[in-house]
Amino acid sequence: MSVELSQPGLVLSTTALSAGYDGRAIVSDISIEASPGKVISIVGPNGSGKSTLLKALVGVVRVLDGTVSVGGNDITNLPSEEVAKLGVGYVPQIDDVFPPLTVKENLEIGGYLLRRSEIPDRIAAVVDRFPRLKEMMSRKAGKLSGGERKMLAMGRVLMLSPSVLVLDEPTANLAPMVATQLLEEYVRGFADQGSTVLLVEQRAKSALRISDWTYVLGGGRVVLDGAPKDLQENPLFVESFLGGSSIPK
Amino acid sequence: MSSFGFGLITAAVLAIATVGFTMQFAVTNVLNLAYGSVMINSAFVSYYLNVHGVTAWVSLVGGVFTGSVVSWALNRFIFTPFQRRNLAPITVVIVALGVDLVGTFGLQAIVGGGYVSFRQSPGSEYHFLGMILSGLQLVILAICAVVLGLVHWVLKYTRLGKAMRATSANPNLARNSGVKVQRVISTTWLISGALCGLAGTVLAMNTGVFEATSAQLYIVLLLAAMFLGGPGEPYGAMFGALTIGLATEISAAYFSPQYKEVIAFLALLGMLTFRPYGIFGSEKTN
Repeated sequence: MSVELSQPGLVLSTTALSAGYDGRAIVSDISIEASPGKVISIVGPNGSGKSTLLKALVGVVRVLDGTVSVGGNDITNLPSEEVAKLGVGYVPQIDDVFPPLTVKENLEIGGYLLRRSEIPDRIAAVVDRFPRLKEMMSRKAGKLSGGERKMLAMGRVLMLSPSVLVLDEPTANLAPMVATQLLEEYVRGFADQGSTVLLVEQRAKSALRISDWTYVLGGGRVVLDGAPKDLQENPLFVESFLGGSSIPK
Repeated sequence: MSSFGFGLITAAVLAIATVGFTMQFAVTNVLNLAYGSVMINSAFVSYYLNVHGVTAWVSLVGGVFTGSVVSWALNRFIFTPFQRRNLAPITVVIVALGVDLVGTFGLQAIVGGGYVSFRQSPGSEYHFLGMILSGLQLVILAICAVVLGLVHWVLKYTRLGKAMRATSANPNLARNSGVKVQRVISTTWLISGALCGLAGTVLAMNTGVFEATSAQLYIVLLLAAMFLGGPGEPYGAMFGALTIGLATEISAAYFSPQYKEVIAFLALLGMLTFRPYGIFGSEKTN
């Protein structure tokens, strides 16, 4: 029996979203949309609110205003475990695995909402996608290299066959070759199989190469958006992200 | 060799207590200094059941139940509300210290200051390998072995145990994986509280006579055993308890039993100085 690692994608969208900590907005008035079969990337300088935005989508950070919806269902401020149940898989930038647990136990926790009998088939499907994990099933996640760890983090969220994948800088601290493989082979691959992928990425060039649409964040707001080929012709974008200087925070 | 036997019993009781204590710290980040107070309150519930006609071993269930429910209630109604206010962790430690004092001296106000003992014979004496152990002590050793085996099985092989370990490592990521973290935390308090009640009752049975303040210095042994093994490491707690239990009893044979807590405290200081994350812990735990 073949096990699909992802469900047909759902539309993830926000409307005039503001979110932050202790009642103070870090991102404001954000309206974005991610569709099935597409990689939607969010780029921007450090401190522009990219990670906060993703955390607000998945229930880690409080939404102060506006809405978040998945497949037409309002998920604004739903607890993270409920968001996961609705098919949104989230891979944080750091602390993306459980270090004291083995690789197998990490995958089992990833499949926490599944029936016990479904878990072995799901693990086999994940290992099929990331064959390197197979030989390290009994190794503690804290002992993995950066690339292996990221594969495990993605494998963990794939255990629930998510419709929407939310990835926060999956290539952070990875060697350039590993980063390219991760983005082009795996991240693009998820979208090509019909999933919705929302990606925050610091490596703007790499992100543009695999994206269908890109939002540019600055100072907690969307300052630009467009298809990658159009953005690459935008002098402000080129100067800020592909040339060197940054857009104002 | 006889002090080794005493050490084994002390280690067995301490192991049950420390595993519960460290589970609370690992999963909920609460250093519950009121643990000793819950232990002795549970022992008194068992004692009153015993003096009202229930056999000592059946009354043990009352102690386990009391420890479990009281610990759950402490977390639900005292520690969690303080944690939700995002106060510094030391605030919750001070609150726990306050709960300990209220629990211990409140109990003393109710039951009085006199010593009591279970209506339970220590049983026949058994001699082997130069050790002399009573039937009661052998049962305590057996209870310890079964309980620690159960804890290992739960943590390693059950869905709940894996969720507890995941929550301990990273509660936000556990939530993102669909784990109902609050439910896992409540269950942890019920289980660790049961261990606390069990440890308190078998401690009281083993010492023969006890009173409301008997477990007041026990927190020193608990902290020493926990830090020796590694804070938040249940397997480290078992190792730490064995080491502290044996060290305190063997040293008592050479110096004086009154110095037991001093030996434990010195071990705690040494550990905090040279390896604050313990034998089984990592720097990250620290």
